[in-house]
Amino acid sequence: MPAPPALDLSNLPDADVVALAQKGRDTAFRELIRRYERPVFSLIYRMVRDRELAEDLAQDTFIKVLNHIDRYRPEFKLSSWLFKIANNVAIDHLRRRQLNTISMDGSPHAVTQDAIEATSFDVTVQQESALEEMESKELGGAIEKAIAHLRPEYRSCIMLRHVEGRSYEEIATTLDLPLGTVKTYIHRARHELRKELEHLRDE
Amino acid sequence: MNHRHLLPDEIDLLLDDEVGFGVQPLKAHLEECDDCRTRVEEARFVVDALEDAPHFAPSHKFAEKVLSQVPVFVPWHVTARDMALQWLPQSRPARIAVAALATSAASMMTLMILWIATQSSVIAVATGAAGDQVVRGLLYNAGHGVLATVFGDQVFGMIQQTGSLGIAAAMLGLVAAAGGSIAGLRALAAASSRRRV
Repeated sequence: MPAPPALDLSNLPDADVVALAQKGRDTAFRELIRRYERPVFSLIYRMVRDRELAEDLAQDTFIKVLNHIDRYRPEFKLSSWLFKIANNVAIDHLRRRQLNTISMDGSPHAVTQDAIEATSFDVTVQQESALEEMESKELGGAIEKAIAHLRPEYRSCIMLRHVEGRSYEEIATTLDLPLGTVKTYIHRARHELRKELEHLRDE
Repeated sequence: MNHRHLLPDEIDLLLDDEVGFGVQPLKAHLEECDDCRTRVEEARFVVDALEDAPHFAPSHKFAEKVLSQVPVFVPWHVTARDMALQWLPQSRPARIAVAALATSAASMMTLMILWIATQSSVIAVATGAAGDQVVRGLLYNAGHGVLATVFGDQVFGMIQQTGSLGIAAAMLGLVAAAGGSIAGLRALAAASSRRRV
């Protein structure tokens, strides 16, 4: 007689899966990772544009959340919590690395050519095989490059809005920003992306 | 006719597929204004590109790497249940058979314990104790002390009425329960641990 099937958690809402995780069920932890590994990794990857680094930061995100799963409150969305931490770890890393997408031409304090080159941001990082693959398709590549040119704050807002399909209110809660600020960031991000992609639109 | 072109915020409303009274005039304006329609289409082009952007997948060992650093505490009752389930057969008839066997075995052991309890004098002679009366006395006093403490004098009185057989059975039951509890708790405490793979 075959063994009974393992508990299928895929149809349970997040709150129920979290409740099982809080009771120590290993399968519940795995289900949470399965549901959100791609969205979390994608958000971080587009923020830091380094696959290996993005995977480390995504792991940190899940480790932080799962180690404190007992603090989860069902009235809030688990996904918002995950995205908040993912955004924070990415932004913290970018600040430490002093990567500034506005300063494509180097730090404003750099005065020599060597200093400018040392502080400029090169979009085409060698490790990004998946992004390179996307960039081989014209539109997909152009949008990824355009996203990379955005300020980190604009980038996270526009990705949560249009890649993850979050409402303005959810984004404001997730990123701890006023609703008006979120709308402003998204508006500006759309404007900058439109300018970047203008040449494709005309073809 | 309203010749004012759409404001950026109004284009955003259309991009966000907002519905409401304020949106209808904007849509009506688009039907008449080529410039605004072009601006909205350009903005929609960007939004569509974003919404078509795929999710990237991490490495296939991502979950394992995460779980290796997350201590999964398994509560004792979950461990107990999982251990029992490991030994239980899967089919219902087999489980019924196991339950029947376990009940029979428990009953047999209980009867054996009770029979041994009635043979205290034999045990006393076999072990070479100095007079079965001394042994009986010792057993009785010890049993009286423990049972009275655990069950209270009233209940002990009821047990006492069943004679030495009842006292012995009650004592053995207490010892078995205490021993089983200690062994079970130790096993579960060892199993209920924070594990790291």
